[in-house]
Amino acid sequence: MGALEAIGIGGLAVLFGLLALRMPVGLAMVAVGIGGNYALSLAAPYLRFGPYLDQFKTLLWGTVANYDLSVVPLFVLMGYLASEANLSRDLFRGVNALFGRMRGGVAMAAVGACAGFGAVCGSSLATASTMGRVALPELRRLDYHPRLATGSLAAGGVLGILIPPSVALVIYAIIVEASIIDMFQAAVIPGAVAVLFFMAVIALTVRLKPSMAPAAVAMEPAARRAALLRLIPVLTIFAAIIVGLGLGLFTPTPAAAVGVFAVLAYGLVLRAFGDGLTGAGIVRALKDSAVTSGMIYFILFGAEVLKGFFTRAGLPEALAEWASVTGMDAWLVLIAVLALLILLGCFMDSLSMILVVVPFLWPTLVAINGGDYAVAETAAFGMATTDLKIWFGILALVVVELGLITPPVGMNVFIISALAHDVPMKEIFRGVLPFFGVEILRVALLLAFPALTLALPQLLSG
Amino acid sequence: MQQALHRAAAAWAILGGVLLFAIVGVTVTNVAAFTLDRIAGLVGRDVTGLPGYEDFVRLAVSSAALMLFPYCQARRGHVAVDILAETVMPRRLQRVLDTLWQLLIVALAVFLAWKMTLGMLETYADHALSRVLGWPVWPFYLPGIGSLVLWAAVALADVRPGRVEA
Repeated sequence: MGALEAIGIGGLAVLFGLLALRMPVGLAMVAVGIGGNYALSLAAPYLRFGPYLDQFKTLLWGTVANYDLSVVPLFVLMGYLASEANLSRDLFRGVNALFGRMRGGVAMAAVGACAGFGAVCGSSLATASTMGRVALPELRRLDYHPRLATGSLAAGGVLGILIPPSVALVIYAIIVEASIIDMFQAAVIPGAVAVLFFMAVIALTVRLKPSMAPAAVAMEPAARRAALLRLIPVLTIFAAIIVGLGLGLFTPTPAAAVGVFAVLAYGLVLRAFGDGLTGAGIVRALKDSAVTSGMIYFILFGAEVLKGFFTRAGLPEALAEWASVTGMDAWLVLIAVLALLILLGCFMDSLSMILVVVPFLWPTLVAINGGDYAVAETAAFGMATTDLKIWFGILALVVVELGLITPPVGMNVFIISALAHDVPMKEIFRGVLPFFGVEILRVALLLAFPALTLALPQLLSG
Repeated sequence: MQQALHRAAAAWAILGGVLLFAIVGVTVTNVAAFTLDRIAGLVGRDVTGLPGYEDFVRLAVSSAALMLFPYCQARRGHVAVDILAETVMPRRLQRVLDTLWQLLIVALAVFLAWKMTLGMLETYADHALSRVLGWPVWPFYLPGIGSLVLWAAVALADVRPGRVEA
């Protein structure tokens, strides 16, 4: 390994050190990028530092002036508007009117609503907190066991990342230069599998231990009708976006913009009936999405700076060469990478993790697979690199989210615990455990059967 | 002072949000035009979409995105990894580090504002135009530069502890 690569590895270590000292993620990435480039200029005089700094004249603007990325603030805004217009509540009540008649049905409704809302809002934490606020009081009122109630909500929050339109999918696609539409299509089946698994966990739990959930009570017919009526517009808006993007009928930015427009219009219509969006609600939604989108853009800029450093240090090539020289088993490397992501997921939020880790892991996997133009017959993973890109992305996103429900940190669990003061944290983690189990099963299935991920994009692209 | 800066950051972010709504409006118009075109095509008429639509989104979102930064700072929305800091790190060290990071943010924002100003002057001198619309690019640097200055100011005002509601 040469001096430059050593500086690259050192930079990576410094980065994780700074993160542990609670430096904001975006700042840490920029600082290591600039500092690392300075170190490189000392080691190799031809990598001059002055010209490097001149990049910053246009780098920030160039990062944010990106048509594909415009989908991020738009979806974030749509999520907050939907939440302010109480669409999350309508979604939960409506799904509950559909499922509520089974034992455990309200918990299933909560999972279903989490999946729907999480898909649209794109943040697991926001989903857990929004749906927790909506569904938790209802579950407690009906005398659901606290473990089941809190566990389903904390776990339900992770469902959104794979169901299109997910902000994380967009960002992964942009980093590895995959088609956003392909990623959305690939995510449909794995996402649906997760929803089914979660519902099965609840059904099984109440079958084995009926005391976990109350016997279902039929809703008042009038209330049920009202709930179903309110579900229709929400479902129409959300389903149009999810299905349209999933099938590739329209591209992300128009979908997001039309989504914002539809939620805004519907919220204002509801206003006439004393519900829906108020002026103050719109301002709150704008402010909240400013915080979320500002954070995402700062990290994206950090990733851009960091990438410049790693590339100049030759780190991706060095890692790839190392991987091919040591001749490690491809699958072993992949499983080690996924395990590393689960571990990191316990400490970092998923977006920063994707942006920190994927830029240097991805070239390594490409090299192991046999390069950019590997064909399925000779590739180490038995698939072309274009397919590997999609398959690995889905796997990575699934495991990244697992960290949100893994002790000791588990951000989703913290959020639910803040809403349910009387339920001890240990109890929530115990409630999450069966969901964690089926998530591991899902990762195993996705690993064993790449077709689950790849069939739909291949089918739809013809 | 701190309070005034936070208010300014909030207003600036809402203005950025209004720009996002403008993107929504233009996009919806464009989608509607394409849909109408399909329908009109059946009876042999043409409805054109907005030319240079992607150009407009690119330019508008570049301003909007940066306008969100100062308010994100005011709400301390830039994510960090809390695990070590909240478990084993002594309180005092924690406070020293937080102050240090805050000052680094100020330095970074000032540095970026300075570089971006140079970038704007070059773009102006080069007469850089957007690809399809042919609009000059340099004015779209201005909101960004303003955002960076405000970002630095907010971060600097917040260095001293004492929280203000944003």
